[in-house]
Amino acid sequence: MLEIKNLHASVGDKPILKGIHLTIKTGEVHAIMGPNGSGKSTLGNVLSGREGYTVTEGDVLYEGKNLLALAPEARAAAGIFLGFQYPVEIPGITNNYFMKTALNAVRRARGEKELDAIDFLKLIKEKAKVVEMDPSMLSRSVNEGFSGGEKKRNEILQMGVLEPKLAILDETDSGLDIDALQIVSKGINALRSPGRAFLVITHYQRLLNYVQPDYVHVLSAGRIVKSGGKELAHELEQKGYGWLENAKPATVV
Amino acid sequence: MTTLTAPSYEILPANAAIKFEGSSERRTLTVPANTQISLIEKYAAQSAGIYSTQTALTVTLEDHAKLTHYKIVQEGAQASHHSSVEVHVGASATYHSHVFLLGGFHLRNTIHVRLHGEHAECMLNGLYLASHDQKMENHTLIDHVKPHGTSRELYKGILDDQAQGVFDGLIVVQKDAQKTDSSQTNKNLLLSTKAKAITNPELKIFANDVKCKHGATIGQLSPDQMFYLRSRGLSQEQARRLLIHAFASEMIQFVEIPELRDQLQHHVEDRA
Repeated sequence: MLEIKNLHASVGDKPILKGIHLTIKTGEVHAIMGPNGSGKSTLGNVLSGREGYTVTEGDVLYEGKNLLALAPEARAAAGIFLGFQYPVEIPGITNNYFMKTALNAVRRARGEKELDAIDFLKLIKEKAKVVEMDPSMLSRSVNEGFSGGEKKRNEILQMGVLEPKLAILDETDSGLDIDALQIVSKGINALRSPGRAFLVITHYQRLLNYVQPDYVHVLSAGRIVKSGGKELAHELEQKGYGWLENAKPATVV
Repeated sequence: MTTLTAPSYEILPANAAIKFEGSSERRTLTVPANTQISLIEKYAAQSAGIYSTQTALTVTLEDHAKLTHYKIVQEGAQASHHSSVEVHVGASATYHSHVFLLGGFHLRNTIHVRLHGEHAECMLNGLYLASHDQKMENHTLIDHVKPHGTSRELYKGILDDQAQGVFDGLIVVQKDAQKTDSSQTNKNLLLSTKAKAITNPELKIFANDVKCKHGATIGQLSPDQMFYLRSRGLSQEQARRLLIHAFASEMIQFVEIPELRDQLQHHVEDRA
C-alpha cells in the first residue's frame, strides 16, 4: 500500500529526514517511535502534503503511484488521513458542516454519491457514539474551545467519517488523560480492518498498550534505527531512547 | 423584502405609534418609552452608472426603548453612498446597529451614538466586503455621558483585489460616566497583497472607574486552517471560501430576522 524509499526531506535548509525506508501493507499497524526532534512529525507532514517541507531525495509510492505529486486534498480523496498532533480551531464553521463538506468532497472525488443532510446526520451520530462525543459538540465551531481530549476525539471522529485506507496518527496520545486515551484507542481499534493500514506516530509506549501494533520502528536523527514487533516498544520503555542513540540504520523491513 | 427598491425602509412590527418623518435626505425616528422595534434600511443599485446616495437619520430612544437597526448597502458598481446616523439613547434604552456594506464604489458609513441616560446600552456591529477598486469607510463615535453605560462594537472587513477598508472608531467616556463598560474591536481579513486596511480604534476616557478595552487585527487566511481543511479533502478554493464565510458569519449570526439572515448568508456564499 505504502512504500517509502530512501526519503530525505528538509524544512528550509535544515535536513530532517535522512533516508527513511518503510513498507506498509494493507491491514497492518505500524508504530513509529522516537525522541523529540527525530523527525516523526515531519514524516507525517510530508506524507500528507503540508507546505514548507521539501523532499530532496527518495520516493513515496501509494498504491503504486507517486504520492508526493498529489495535493493534500487529492491524498485525502485517495484515502489518506492525517490525525493532527495539534488540531486546528476554525471559529464560525460548525463541526457538522465541516465534516459533511469534507465527506462529500471526498465522495465526489471518488465518484460516489454525495450524502444529503438527513443521511449525513444519521451517519455522524452513529460515529460520534464510538468516541463518546456528545451530539451538542457537533453543532459547535470546529475545535473551538474544545479541551485537548475533545480535540483528539474529534480527530478520530473525522477519521471514522472519512474511512481512510491509510491513517497516519501524529501523536494522537499526547496531552490525553487515561480516560481520553482509552476512548481514543477504542475509536482507532473500531476502525482496524483488513482493508486499512495505520501509521501511529508516538513518543510514548502507553498508546501501544491499547492499540497493538504489528511493527514498531524507532526513528532517530531522521533514520529508522531499529525495527521489530510490539515487544520493541516495551524494551524502549524500559531502556529509554539513549539505548539506540548510536545504532546504525536498520535494514529495510 | 424579496425585491429591493432603493432606499427601502421597513419597521417591524408595523406600529402606527412610531413617528418616522422627513424627506429622503433627512429623516427622524422617535422610539417611545418602553417600545421595542426593528428598522430595516436597504439600499439597492439604482443603476449601473455613476450616481450618489446621501442619507441622514436622527434617532431618539426614549427611556427603556429599544431599536434594532439593520442597514444593508448594496449600491451599483459606480455609485457613492454617504449615510450618517445620529442616535440619542435615553436611560435604560438600547440601540443595536448591524451595518452590512456589500456594494458600491465608495461607501461611507457614519454613526454617532450618545448614551444620554444612565444604564443606556449600545451595540455597533459592521461587516464590509470590498473588492476591485472599492473603498468602504466606517466612522463611528460612541459618547458615554452618564454612568453605568454599556457599549460593544465589532467591525469586520474582508478586502480583496485593490480594495480599501477604513475603520475609524472613537469611544469617549465623559467625566460623569462612571462604571462604563465598553469594548471596541476591528478585524480585517486581506485576501490580496494589494488590498489595504486602515484601522484607527481610539478611546478617550475622562472618568476614573470604568472598564474599557479596544483592539484591531489585520491578517490573511491562516495556512494552518487551509491545510487542515485540505487534508480532509476540501479543494483549495473550497477551503478558501469556507474560511471567508466563517469570518463573515459571526456578524451575520447577530441578525435576528431569519429571512434577512438567509439573504446575507447567500450573498456572502456567492461572493466568497
